[in-house]
Amino acid sequence: MTLTLAGVGYRYAGASRPSLLDVDLELPDGAVVGLVGPSEAGKTTVCLVASGLAPRTVSGQIRGRVLLDGEDVDAWPMHRLSARIGIGFENPSTQLSQVAGTVFEEVAFGPMNLGAARDEVVERTWEALTNMRIDDLAERDPGRLSGGQQQLVAMAGLLAMRPAHLVLDEPTAQLDPAGTRLVGEAIARLAAGGASILVAEQKTDLLAEVADRVVVIADGRILFSGPADETLADPRLVEAGVAEPAPVRLRRAAEAAGLDPARLEVPLDA
Amino acid sequence: MAGRVRLTDPQPARGLPDFLGRPGPTPVHRLNPLTKATLATVTAVAAVALGGLVGPILLVAVAVLVPAALARVLGRLLRLALLLALPIAISAFLVNLFFFPGAERVLLRIGPITATAEGLEFALQILVRILAISGAVTLFYLTTRPADLVVDLERRGISPRAAFVANASVQTVPAMVDRAAQITAAQRARGLDTEGSLWRRIRGIIPIVGPVILGSIAEVEERTMALEARGFTRPGRRTLLWAPADAGLERLARWAMVAALLALIVARVAGIWT
Amino acid sequence: MGIRWIAALVAFIVVILIGIVSIGNFDTGIDPDNFFDTEGANSFALIGAIALVVGFVVYAGVEYAQTGGLGSIARQFDTRTIVLMPIAVAINIILGATVANALKIPIYLDSIGTILVGVLAGPVAGALTGFLSNILWTYVIPPPFQNGPAAAFAVVAVIIGVLAGLAGRAGWMRPRPNRSIGQLGIGAVITVGVIVAMSWLAYLGWTSPAFGGEVNFDVAGSDAIFNVLGWLVLVLVAGTIIGLLALLFVRRDLTAAYVVVAGLGTGIIAALISAPISANVFSGVTGGGTDFLVAALRQAGADIGAATLGQGLISDPIDKITTFFVVYLILAGMAARTKARFPQGDRLLEEGGAADLEEGEWRGASA
Repeated sequence: MTLTLAGVGYRYAGASRPSLLDVDLELPDGAVVGLVGPSEAGKTTVCLVASGLAPRTVSGQIRGRVLLDGEDVDAWPMHRLSARIGIGFENPSTQLSQVAGTVFEEVAFGPMNLGAARDEVVERTWEALTNMRIDDLAERDPGRLSGGQQQLVAMAGLLAMRPAHLVLDEPTAQLDPAGTRLVGEAIARLAAGGASILVAEQKTDLLAEVADRVVVIADGRILFSGPADETLADPRLVEAGVAEPAPVRLRRAAEAAGLDPARLEVPLDA
Repeated sequence: MAGRVRLTDPQPARGLPDFLGRPGPTPVHRLNPLTKATLATVTAVAAVALGGLVGPILLVAVAVLVPAALARVLGRLLRLALLLALPIAISAFLVNLFFFPGAERVLLRIGPITATAEGLEFALQILVRILAISGAVTLFYLTTRPADLVVDLERRGISPRAAFVANASVQTVPAMVDRAAQITAAQRARGLDTEGSLWRRIRGIIPIVGPVILGSIAEVEERTMALEARGFTRPGRRTLLWAPADAGLERLARWAMVAALLALIVARVAGIWT
Repeated sequence: MGIRWIAALVAFIVVILIGIVSIGNFDTGIDPDNFFDTEGANSFALIGAIALVVGFVVYAGVEYAQTGGLGSIARQFDTRTIVLMPIAVAINIILGATVANALKIPIYLDSIGTILVGVLAGPVAGALTGFLSNILWTYVIPPPFQNGPAAAFAVVAVIIGVLAGLAGRAGWMRPRPNRSIGQLGIGAVITVGVIVAMSWLAYLGWTSPAFGGEVNFDVAGSDAIFNVLGWLVLVLVAGTIIGLLALLFVRRDLTAAYVVVAGLGTGIIAALISAPISANVFSGVTGGGTDFLVAALRQAGADIGAATLGQGLISDPIDKITTFFVVYLILAGMAARTKARFPQGDRLLEEGGAADLEEGEWRGASA
């Protein structure tokens, strides 16, 4: 089931100019697509449009089409889309529902809302907890976990809804290094298992590891895109205001210093 | 379903975890939450409707103290109920003792104000009534988890959104207090003066109000998105993981309590009972 | 659509009249053995509550007959409102508990959340916020914030929410900066007049003769958080007066006058309904700073009913004016974009248009 944005433009309600113009993006089944760009480039807006929150929850005007396997989802209500596309945000604590006393109930929140039969809700919850490797946290109070753990709980809550695609908007932006590692590993595991994920990130190292394709966006428009290793090594990346991954930076530094990068004993493709 | 985010690790089947819906330690705890809520409300209203001294005292003994003893929370109940009633009790007692208009029998004179016997009687009645209400409400608080009551109401048919608001409110109060305390501590560390002159105190308050109230409101947008991303807008009922048990006997008891209360009110209003 | 409101209002008045006629007069003499005074003003609260419910049912019934649904009510409860309500309830309870427990001054400050939700989302949403706040405050919130009498006043909170919703719907909370001198002049007269009257009554209340006329600024309670929050409350009240005057004369914002009128009206109605409850259930004493005021009035010879009504008419308008002002400040601190997304948000924005958009098939809401 491919998620497609075709010629999408978006203007938030009350804004003087559009945040997105003419965006084409495709997220096929099993692919991991990274979205990079400087701040205010429109990464979050792309995520909101892809998940359907824009223009439904976040009022505004949209142009172009959002398609799931070729079908225009413009008329779909938010709850129907939420079962197909899950979206995670950067703030771990505001994603908590605040009505769950335990992590188990927090993760079960989504399937409960969808009205699945009780046994199925329980099964899906355990499945999501196990896949995020947090089943030992099932009894804990989600409000008392670390940021990284809360982010894993949020992702488990999305997975429990069994979406076709996951959209993650800068999942590690508000986490400390330990949390970043925790979430990064979880995303890598999901990717290895064949999940279809759109990740907006400023930390290009993470994308170097898990992404198949990378799309570069600035000022609401797509600048260029391509296979991950090519795009992340493209010199235009830095011009656009995005920090390149560490191996790429290392290689460039080596070349600038006159050293032959091939003779450095450092793996340059993560 | 084709195209699902595929998850690795098949696992053995696990049922509903046992930490959900754990029954309480005593039979009183295990009563259905609606029954306990009905008991508390009926007792509180009856304490007002009964009037006099004997009625409310008996009511307290039967509807508050006995169940509290059975629930093994009597000590805590007395402590908390007295704490709850104390500010009102003191004020009510003093105000009524000294300022009862039209009273004749003087007990004590302190300067311009006098304590009267009628005032004393009235004050005692008010005191007992306040203690009854505090006791009833505290009993409910001590034997019932709010989440259980909300789940029970949702099972009976209130909207999931109403249930959400009730549950979230209960969690938000302590969360907001924590946040205010954290911000206070942080600001103190940065030199905020919470003692000292009036002007300095006033200047110090502002950096706390902003983050707490405006910060909470600023989060509304993110929280709204997160909820809607998890199917919150789907109309109709949602699945409940568990619900408290209810017995036919309890249902009968609830109706009986309400009927008795209504009878009492009618008798009172019609002047049959004084 | 006005038919619904008219029908509801008619039903409301009819029930009140029936109630008054069948109960009798409103003499509030208290008989020590029988203080469930059947002929007293206590019945007014009951009648008022019943009339409110009947009015609401008639409103809903007419809407259902007209449109086959309850859209105008359901629309007030979108996800955003649902998310705001618990925050509003928490603000109500925390500030209200601080005033009642730690600060012995005759105001309540337990309706900021209710009025905020009413103004942003609508009358029914505001009403439910108030109702839930009071019920939770008594039954569910643990000490030190728990408040015993609160649940009995739930109906008052409901009415405050409704009034706030109506004020919001009428556009009263919309900023009106840079108005002409003439308009400001009228606004100034109203605002200053009300403030002066309220301040004088407040002064009377705070220096109640029964207790020696000492104005008490010490904040009781050992909890540091109460200390801090207690001072916050004092600041709020003083700030309100200064702020309203500043709004009017510095920013030339006419809404200051609307805030004062809304607060005054809500305060008077709230006092009328809460006085009988306070008098008959708690003999006028609920544990807060208002008790001193009641005592003072009784010392002066008033019976319980008159004393609580007197106290209410002094405390409530001050309280509600302050509350509406604080809500106006909160709204001013919110971005227009954020406010606009609430059900009544469009009535809280300044008059003005949205930017023009290039042509092309833009779909969706523009503001």
